Amino acid sequence: MSKELIRLSDCVVKFDDEIILDHLNLYINDKEFLTLLGPSGCGKTTTLRIIGGFLSPTSGDVFFDGQRCNDVPPHKRQVNTVFQKYALFPHLNVFENVAFGLRIAKRPEGEIHDRVMEMLEVVNLKGFEKRPISALSGGQQQRVAIARALVNRPKVLLLDEPLGALDMRLRKDMQNELKRIQQEMEITFIYVTHDQEEALAMSDTVVVMDGGRIQQIGSPEDIYNEPKNAFVADFIGESNIIDGIMRSDGVVEIFNRCFKCLDGGFDKDEPLDVVIRPEDVDIVPESEGQLKGTVTQVTFKGVHYDTIVDFYGFKWLIQTTDFCPVDSHIGIKIDPDGIHVMKKSAYSGMFGDYSSYSEEYEEIGDASIDPEEEGSGDEE
Amino acid sequence: MKSKLNRFAIPYVVWMALFVVTPILLMVIYAFSSVDGGFTLDNFTSMGEYLPVFTRSFKLAIIATLICLLMGYPMAYFMAKEGPRFQRVAMALIMLPMWMNFLLRTYAWMSILENNGLINQLLGALGILDALGTDHVQLIRTQAAVVLGMVYNYLPFMILPIYSVIVKLDHSLLEAARDLGANSLNVFRKVIFPLSIPAIISGVTMVFVPSVSTFAISRLLGGGEELMLGDLIEQQFLGGAYDPYLGAAISMVMMVIVVVCMVLMNHFGEGEEQAVML
Amino acid sequence: MKKQNSIGSRLLIALVFLFLYAPILLLIIFSFNAGDSSVVWRGFSLDWYGKLFQNRLIMESVYMTLLVSILATAISTIAGTFAAIGLYSLKRRWRSPLMTVSNIPTVNADIVTGVSMCLLFGVFFMGWSSFAGWFNAQELSLLGHILQLPERLTMGFTTLLLAHIAFDIPYVILNVAPKLRQMDKNLIDAAQDLGCTWMQAFWKVILPEIKPGVVSGALIAFTMSVDDFVISYFTAGSSTSTLAMTIYGMTKKRVSPEINAVSTLLFVTVLVLLILSNVLEARQEKLAEMRSEMKPVAQRKPILPPVFRKSWLRRMVAGVCAVSLLLVVAALSHVTGSRPVVNVCSWGEYIDEALITQFEEETGIRVNYQTAESNETLYSLLKSGGGDYDVVVPSDYMISQLIEEDMLTELDYSLIPNFDLVDAQFRNLPYDPENKYTVPYAWGTLGIIYNENMIEDEITSWSAMFDPKYAGKVMLINNSRDALGIALLYLGYSVNTTNEAQIREAYQLLADATNKGVYAGKIMDEVFQVMEGGNAAMATYYAGDYLSMLENNEDLRFVIPEEGSNWFVDAMCILKDARHPAEAHAWINFIASTDAALANMDYIWYGTANREAIEQYPEYYLENYGEELDQETFDIIQTPPEVLERCEMYLVLPKETRDLYKSLWIKLGV
Repeated sequence: MSKELIRLSDCVVKFDDEIILDHLNLYINDKEFLTLLGPSGCGKTTTLRIIGGFLSPTSGDVFFDGQRCNDVPPHKRQVNTVFQKYALFPHLNVFENVAFGLRIAKRPEGEIHDRVMEMLEVVNLKGFEKRPISALSGGQQQRVAIARALVNRPKVLLLDEPLGALDMRLRKDMQNELKRIQQEMEITFIYVTHDQEEALAMSDTVVVMDGGRIQQIGSPEDIYNEPKNAFVADFIGESNIIDGIMRSDGVVEIFNRCFKCLDGGFDKDEPLDVVIRPEDVDIVPESEGQLKGTVTQVTFKGVHYDTIVDFYGFKWLIQTTDFCPVDSHIGIKIDPDGIHVMKKSAYSGMFGDYSSYSEEYEEIGDASIDPEEEGSGDEE
Repeated sequence: MKSKLNRFAIPYVVWMALFVVTPILLMVIYAFSSVDGGFTLDNFTSMGEYLPVFTRSFKLAIIATLICLLMGYPMAYFMAKEGPRFQRVAMALIMLPMWMNFLLRTYAWMSILENNGLINQLLGALGILDALGTDHVQLIRTQAAVVLGMVYNYLPFMILPIYSVIVKLDHSLLEAARDLGANSLNVFRKVIFPLSIPAIISGVTMVFVPSVSTFAISRLLGGGEELMLGDLIEQQFLGGAYDPYLGAAISMVMMVIVVVCMVLMNHFGEGEEQAVML
Repeated sequence: MKKQNSIGSRLLIALVFLFLYAPILLLIIFSFNAGDSSVVWRGFSLDWYGKLFQNRLIMESVYMTLLVSILATAISTIAGTFAAIGLYSLKRRWRSPLMTVSNIPTVNADIVTGVSMCLLFGVFFMGWSSFAGWFNAQELSLLGHILQLPERLTMGFTTLLLAHIAFDIPYVILNVAPKLRQMDKNLIDAAQDLGCTWMQAFWKVILPEIKPGVVSGALIAFTMSVDDFVISYFTAGSSTSTLAMTIYGMTKKRVSPEINAVSTLLFVTVLVLLILSNVLEARQEKLAEMRSEMKPVAQRKPILPPVFRKSWLRRMVAGVCAVSLLLVVAALSHVTGSRPVVNVCSWGEYIDEALITQFEEETGIRVNYQTAESNETLYSLLKSGGGDYDVVVPSDYMISQLIEEDMLTELDYSLIPNFDLVDAQFRNLPYDPENKYTVPYAWGTLGIIYNENMIEDEITSWSAMFDPKYAGKVMLINNSRDALGIALLYLGYSVNTTNEAQIREAYQLLADATNKGVYAGKIMDEVFQVMEGGNAAMATYYAGDYLSMLENNEDLRFVIPEEGSNWFVDAMCILKDARHPAEAHAWINFIASTDAALANMDYIWYGTANREAIEQYPEYYLENYGEELDQETFDIIQTPPEVLERCEMYLVLPKETRDLYKSLWIKLGV
């Protein structure tokens, strides 16, 4: 499967001395579903625009199928894009929107018709071909945008936060839909999002970016289970990140207590970050606990309770099905595979404390509502 | 809440009834009246005599509108591609002559086009007139001068709506088109141009309507020898041939033309309520 | 858009701007010209600016333009904003048709709007005058004793302002409406929920939201008002004149270079304002940029120009209100000022303006001096309710017609002692056989004016006016009576013929000549500019005006053709229902005096009816110019009896003939 299709080599993008992409190296395989994941302004859309040909890197090279293609204009690339707000042509109806690329390529009328209808079937929009764009719902517009891009049989489909403007329910449906289409068409999808759930659910490979750099590349499982630094750990799912010291292979000290873990290969007594996912913590009676703390806040979440527990002034988030009332004293146990150790990085100390728990949740909520990306900044 | 707000509509509705609807109704009544107040169609039947005025007005206005379009569209298009500071200055410069009066702008051309005006003096100084064997090239008091006056006065009305649409075009649409394989020419032909058609129509209307009805321009630059519709109407009201009944009839015919233009505009363009200027 | 333009497109932009600005630049350059030419540079001077501020006509019209524009802008901005809010709170079913009606003035041709307004006012005035007549006749009514309603209303400042407001409001609405549409409907509810009164909700929520729309609406309204000519032309009447109307009036005769100066001042003012606002905007932008640099994550929002900033609008509204209030007060004192006024309508270049000043100084009566283009235009103006005059100076045949239609008032000759000075020759003329309505103003003849340098032959006959030999060099006089008159004269018919065949024959003669391209144009008072500037070789015009032109171009010659010509008398009359009859009589008496007659004769070069003045003129000339009066010139001023014998006076034509003239005349233009 894995034949290399696209390679970005040492790409730098600057706007007025502002570094958007910082020496980015990335290769993308054929027929892969790759997601560029990161917060606003991390450079993911810029990366996508470089691949699409809307932007040339300030320095560095872009290869497509082994050919350098820095200066190939978008209309000559075998790449099509599904734009953030779809960018459907308001003066054309559904059929003509989808047929646009074929008409530009001057395909014969019969072929255009067949391919458009076929594509509309793929995206479940049969019977909508005469509709004006303005008469479609958000999800339908989304499908038109996908059909319009795919009908040209590109080798790569670029999707720039395509689900950002949809509501939760529709988003879930479309995720499955996109995955299905990708498998059906057998082409490469490069998907940009800031929604980690989306990334984990759909991708073969996830590229986590921040500050114009790649923080980690890997399969969704890798990224979740083995985050490389505090940023990735925090960005992907919920995590408690605690300072620890590696006492020896398989033993890490937290809060002056040794825990067993599965990681090794660090220097002895090396300070590092320890990630503990909230669901990997078991609550036990205070006397049996490896650590003892006080519950400060409990929120019912349906499947579980989000319980904030204070351990020596450091607040953890624990997701548990057992209800512990506020102010109760509890103990916890962590299995060795629940402990993940990371080297210290620039992000250390910035994340992983739940002292300001509720605010953090709000921030996340904001981010998913706001579809504006760094795209608007890129344009100037 | 709502009920409180829509009180504000009432005075305006009264105002419109008085100053928008009544005048037009009066015009229609006049158009179908004779001097002694009876009903008549004479005003319309006798209009046949003025057919040449209609054709002349339309011919010149269409030419002027076309020229405006040919000049204004590229102007608006290229302006929209410049940087924001350039655009702001350019917009101001296009609007600026409108704060000087329309008549001043027309008058400015008179001394340029006169038989011994600036252009002829220049041609004379360059020896071109001698070469042609005349003492002047007739510039003023020609139909071309009238067209020039129209273009000069109404060009901004063409540039502004087109510019404001092009500058607001969603940039991702253009990227989408390029992404789908369109080169620059195709992007223009298949996306920018079709999307700017409503603006073109509103620009065309805004140039055509005043052009076809102008009376000062034809008088000042055309020498008043060949009547235009506006002159004809003016003559019936404040000019040498007092006949408001005929004048109202001609105005009415012209208004019908405007209505047709409006219908066309609404048919192609989307918005009745599009702010036409800024 | 990212892609920068190529040189080619930049060049196109530059060319369009050159096209837009070259004429304006020329105006500006020549406003500093020492000479009065708009073509030949005679050195730098600021003379025209000095003269501009002394030119009452121009200054008053600039004032009028600004007053009307500012008032109309202020009123229509406020009214339009409320109207828009009102319309937007209506259901769509109601709103859409109302918006369509509201937009009519913006899409209609200006001339249609102007004309329909003109009709509206005319009909209203007619209705008013019968109402006022009835009302004033109600002796029983208690009010009637206290309140006498004016019976005659004419177009003026009020109608002009109403018309401007009427066509400004839709533009304000068009600009405010989109902002209202964008506004979250819940905002007002939210504000009220938080304890705002209705008024507070308006000031604190609605207004800030729609402010940009209101400001740009006001701007557009002002632009439209300042730029307008056509609508003003049809609704201002005669007593009020905007700058555009003044210029239009001037372009019909001689445009004085003060116009260049006034254009320059206007242009510079606007330019400075624009630059100021741009600089402010740029500064604002820089500040915003600096701010956004400090907070790198913050999104760059489009920067609003300073005009949209918060407290700005309230201050602007307050400012505009204050200014307009001041202006209203000023205008009121200006209009209703205790000084008595007389409104006079005469012809262009037809008075020694020093006389106006002299009269004003002597009597304290302000003279509102207007000119009309021809007898026919004067008639139209009076008929359409546009002519708010006391004294008019129509020509003979028009006087008959006005008497016939009962539009003149009988004069009180006891108030015009100078009438005694009128020579018997000029009394009881056919147009006013019992001399009850008129006092002669001036008289003269019609003839051919030609440029010796451009026409080799000596012109003696009207035939020259129809000769294809002179194709493109001849200017036809732009009124039906004179133009058809010369054709009739050439054909050997009477200028007063009512024989349709003869008149049609005359028309045919003109039509043929037109088709052969003999006429380069049809002009009235533009003739001064055209003939003096050597822009045409030959024209038909009046004797006295020829002498005025001769002063500026020595190559011109005048001839009363052998076939004979028309001689005319222009006489002063007072209109029925004139609002200032006493002042009107005073003015007539003043003009009829010997001193005034002499000054006028010397200035306009037309004959006078004042016996003493005719006798004293050669002496007066010698005194003033230090040289003998040339007999030839004097003959042109006071046409000798033997020449006058060949000339015929116009008589009023019967209605059918007048209609024939009218339709033939329009047909010629077609």
